[in-house]
Amino acid sequence: MSSWLDYTINGLIVGNVYALVAVGLALIFGVSRLINFAQGSIYLVGAYIGWVAVVQLHTPLPLTIIVVAVAAALVGLIIERFGLRPLQNSVRIAPLLATIGISFVLDQLVMLTFSPNPRALPSQLPDVRFQIGGGTIGPLDLLIAGVGITSALLLFVFLRYSKLGWAIRATAQDRDAAMQMGVDVNRVNQAVFGIAAALGGVSGLLVGMYYNQIDTAMSLQATLKGVVAEVVGGAGNVPGAVIGSLLLGLVESYGVAVFGTSYRNLFAFLLLVVVLVLRPNGLFASARQAPPEPLTGTFIAPSRPVRIPRWALLVATGIFAILPLLPVSFYVLQTLINAWLLGMLALSLTLVAGTIGQVSLGHAALLAIGAYTSALLSLTFAVPVGLAIIGGGLMSAALGTALISPSFRLRGHYVSIATLAIGEIVSLVILNWESVTRGPIGISGIPPLSLAGYELVSPISIYCFSFIVMVVLALLQGRLLGSHLGRSFRAIRDDDIAARAYGLSLNRYKSLAFIFGGFAAGVSGGIAAHLYSYINHETFNTQQSILALTVVILGGLGNVVGAIVGAVALVGLPEVFRIAAEYRILIYGIVLLLLVRFRPQGLLGTM
Amino acid sequence: MSNIDRRTLVKGSLAAMMAGAAFSRAAFAQSSEPILLGVSGPLTGPNAQYGTQWKQGFDLALDEIQAAGGVNGRKLAYSFEDSQSDPRQSVAIAQKFVSDPRIVMELGDFSSPASMAASPIYQRGGLVQFGFTNSHPDFTKGGDFMWSTSVSQADEQPLLAAYAVKRLGLKKLAVLHLNTDWGRTSRDYFVKAAKEHGAEIAVTEGYIAEERDFRSTLVRVRDANPDGLILISYYSDGALIARQARQVGLKQVICAASSVYSPKFLELGGEAVEDVHVGTRYFPEDPRPEVQTFIAGFKKKYNGVEPDAFNAYAYDAMNMAAAVVKIGGADRRAIRDAFTKVKDVSSVIFGKATFDVESRRVKGAMNAELVVRKGQFALWDGKPT
Repeated sequence: MSSWLDYTINGLIVGNVYALVAVGLALIFGVSRLINFAQGSIYLVGAYIGWVAVVQLHTPLPLTIIVVAVAAALVGLIIERFGLRPLQNSVRIAPLLATIGISFVLDQLVMLTFSPNPRALPSQLPDVRFQIGGGTIGPLDLLIAGVGITSALLLFVFLRYSKLGWAIRATAQDRDAAMQMGVDVNRVNQAVFGIAAALGGVSGLLVGMYYNQIDTAMSLQATLKGVVAEVVGGAGNVPGAVIGSLLLGLVESYGVAVFGTSYRNLFAFLLLVVVLVLRPNGLFASARQAPPEPLTGTFIAPSRPVRIPRWALLVATGIFAILPLLPVSFYVLQTLINAWLLGMLALSLTLVAGTIGQVSLGHAALLAIGAYTSALLSLTFAVPVGLAIIGGGLMSAALGTALISPSFRLRGHYVSIATLAIGEIVSLVILNWESVTRGPIGISGIPPLSLAGYELVSPISIYCFSFIVMVVLALLQGRLLGSHLGRSFRAIRDDDIAARAYGLSLNRYKSLAFIFGGFAAGVSGGIAAHLYSYINHETFNTQQSILALTVVILGGLGNVVGAIVGAVALVGLPEVFRIAAEYRILIYGIVLLLLVRFRPQGLLGTM
Repeated sequence: MSNIDRRTLVKGSLAAMMAGAAFSRAAFAQSSEPILLGVSGPLTGPNAQYGTQWKQGFDLALDEIQAAGGVNGRKLAYSFEDSQSDPRQSVAIAQKFVSDPRIVMELGDFSSPASMAASPIYQRGGLVQFGFTNSHPDFTKGGDFMWSTSVSQADEQPLLAAYAVKRLGLKKLAVLHLNTDWGRTSRDYFVKAAKEHGAEIAVTEGYIAEERDFRSTLVRVRDANPDGLILISYYSDGALIARQARQVGLKQVICAASSVYSPKFLELGGEAVEDVHVGTRYFPEDPRPEVQTFIAGFKKKYNGVEPDAFNAYAYDAMNMAAAVVKIGGADRRAIRDAFTKVKDVSSVIFGKATFDVESRRVKGAMNAELVVRKGQFALWDGKPT
């Protein structure tokens, strides 16, 4: 029994830590309807500024906190002014992508400045422990709780009773109306970003002290957990974010208690999916609250796609088709093989995200399902590789659609968050379902690609195979988009109420899109499995999902040719920047930001 | 490229290498281009710290090799390509290295998915993939071009189990391990060996690499009532677990695998890692000349910083690469064959490293039983903690 008390206390302690990030995220979401993926990076920056202050300058704790808060707020203001404000009037998805790009840049800058080695960030508080239950808590626990709860309360009061707070809430409810009433919306945004960033920086400092450890990998994890907590509590709801964080901490702790440590994150993400399905606006959204997303499809704004003449496409296809005959190195071919595999994934995502408007952040899960199915079919049941890959595609289509179907009733950002969670769940199931997936050991000795008894092992044959598969999938998808199905998909994306009124069954069409998309992604995963010969739960990770979404947005949502162009660009750019060694991901992030800034509708435009 | 009298050249020790290099310099003075090795590893991304440590180890070894006149009279150099430990990038790098005639062999990658995805390309391309941190039991099964000096966990874990059970007298153990292919394999070998020594395994808990909070896990550990905690961890997570164990009031003996052996473990763990026992392959006061050369050289080159386990792996790997290139010359196949011939290469981890041709790994890692005393790693004096 006493153990349960300990699990509860531990859950609250961790929830406390999550709350610091979640509050900042909630504040920004409340005002700009934006999930700020750069919040974890500000947290990282705060931790390292704190390290400089504590270890190099020996500042006392109150001064350290002030220094970190001011510096992080400055970073926040810079992000708002130069990263996000120029995107105000562009598609709603552009700022989301911009925050992803900003987080790349910030993380890389910290890594280049401080080296990727973890550092100790000593706590400046006296080391006394208070006995509670079977464990102890220290002054830092209390300080973190204090900062979390106080900031949530202060924000709550500030939003409710101060003039700027009113302006912030008015902007959150209706930006245009607020502007008409004379609210300086930009100033409001600045204030919000400054406050949220200061909070993010201080939380990085405190959490770093708490674990006596800071490293550059902490940013993505902080963002992930913060987003889960925030959405559980009700996106944009500051006190809700605190309660959501505590709940998340408790669920994780009890999950560990009952099932063991390796199931911890599984419970975190299951909690998120359950909450989203039962209460799509979070646990603490009031009924009176305005819907968190606009009802019509402004999330993805229409734009005029670039028309590429048919002959140009034919010529391009022809050139890539005969490329292996030309004197190009195997390295170039291999890079293009990667591009074609990513292209298949992007085709899948551009269909579900672009054409029907379900922006998925968990698409790597479809790769993983296809890869594991194909690998196990060919290894365990000796199914010929060609058939196994098709089996992988079918499994991905079926399982992927079934997994994603609970999120069909969600809109906008919530779809992205739900799919992010589903992606994580798939990866954790792969890790834990050892009897089938062999857990962390992974599957090795997967037979190479073969077709009708001939092994495809030379880069030239793999290149041709993957290129043909991708072109066939692209042609099928082009055909699909031109049919009445494609028009129905776009109708649902642009205005789901009108589409429903017209008699379209949303769920059925969304399922159709996921079945087709799941197949393409599963085939891509299957080919990858046979190409790599070894896969484990880390092969298809969250970064892959984010990369796929970047490709799709870069190419133009819903745009088939754009997806392939985007894949070639995003596989090619980091390879081109190889010469820059450690700096290449930084350059990649900056290029991404510039693209979002100057061409938010994507290279080839939304279809 | 011909080899002059291989056997007289390969004596393994540094002294012999120097003599050999001086001898061959005369013979190969015409070739001024450095012999190039390809390295595929993480310089950015979540594992970037390990790539950085590799570089430190490589550079130190290269300084010594160059100072001794290079290999066969030519300089040895490496081209480090950042893979982010991502299989998509490691396969592209593999093709790049395979199609670059200057590259004579490859080292890396870091993680199993990235390394083993590239193996088929190296195998078909006929370029040795020398995975010096690849402990995955299937890594060298990728083909006869896959070689590894990674300490086999089948070797290492029984040593740790003997330390914990026989020397420290622990009878009931809680095992916390990274839930990766390495951690999982290690755990299985450890549990097997510990049981053979008569210990009981009270609980095993696998955690993912990003985990930072172990309080709830430690409640499970406490409820299993062990008399010792075994950490199959890297230094950053190992330090976190030790700190949180002490914070929640667990006072049991902690015994950790060699992968925590790093000055960072002491820095990150602080007082909490005092009295933590670590089974390692070498230790600072180790009288072996290769260890003393390595530690002194490392401290001199990197402003007094103590080297850690990953620095040592990389340093050994570069020396091994020099030794096989010395035998095999600049020919890829000859280098593959050289792995079967190379004998008693001086090594921090193995003392004298010789490959087992069957498994393509090196057996017989050195063993040192350390304990953290007054914030420093020290040889365990046999006193209970």
